[in-house]
Amino acid sequence: MMKGLRWGDAVVVAVATALVTTSFALTYAPGSGPTQLVVTQAGAEPRYYGLDGSRTIRVDGAAGVTEIEIQPGRARCLRSPGSQGICEAAGWLERPGDMAVSLPNRLVLQVRGPRTDFDSMHY
Amino acid sequence: MTPEPGPADRRIAALAALAIGLQVIEAAIPSPVPGIKPGLANVITLVALVALGWRAALAVSLLRVVGASLLLGTLLSPGFWLSLTGALAALLVLAPLARLYPRHLSALGLAVPAAIAHTLGQFLLAWALIVPHPQLPLLLPPLLLAALITGVVTGILTTSVLADPRIQRHVRNSPTTQSG
Repeated sequence: MMKGLRWGDAVVVAVATALVTTSFALTYAPGSGPTQLVVTQAGAEPRYYGLDGSRTIRVDGAAGVTEIEIQPGRARCLRSPGSQGICEAAGWLERPGDMAVSLPNRLVLQVRGPRTDFDSMHY
Repeated sequence: MTPEPGPADRRIAALAALAIGLQVIEAAIPSPVPGIKPGLANVITLVALVALGWRAALAVSLLRVVGASLLLGTLLSPGFWLSLTGALAALLVLAPLARLYPRHLSALGLAVPAAIAHTLGQFLLAWALIVPHPQLPLLLPPLLLAALITGVVTGILTTSVLADPRIQRHVRNSPTTQSG
């Protein structure tokens, strides 16, 4: 045992551990998901879709049709003309800020939470 | 004529030189995760705080941040501001806690809150100004966990440094000189 420890050390370490545990719990708990899908296409106004029901939407683009599947709280690129499947590979967009991109169709899909914020391009 | 540096100035300069050396060495060690490093220079800050008081700790911290950034070529870069913010946040927490040393807290009890404050301060600056991304908070819990661990490690190191008789002579209210 280390010499010179005080009772306050135990309190401090306990509080710090509680803080770290709480931060994990708060951050990774399933919280408020995205509520809106924003479809941005080159040369067109952005289109907004609520993420409140299940449906599929089709977006015509320069290279073909991008099919977007919407479910409550999430959306994904179901089919897109890109040969490498990059748009589909983005998977379900489930957290505010997640995005999928189809370059052939000049299309960006992004889900947003209750408040509009910065996007992942900031990385 | 510049005034002659007093003994306190020389101590601060010596501690700052040690801290700069530690920070430069640490910068050369590749970190598995960006944003996580041991923070060994904080040992020196704690020694300065305990031995010479919080003004000396502030001086040592500022000298370290500026001096190390000059050597590493990061002066006024984002890394410099993060370093500065972390150091100031840690001192902000340390200043009131230092009064509890050594009666109620050992160096370990100082190092852990300092490390957490360091990380939190850096994170808030990063989130507010440098990378204002809505998902950045996802990085915070692992960083805080790392701060907890590195805080314990630097706390143990500080305790053993302070236990050295050559340091002991300079420590105010050290456990050995206090009869309480």
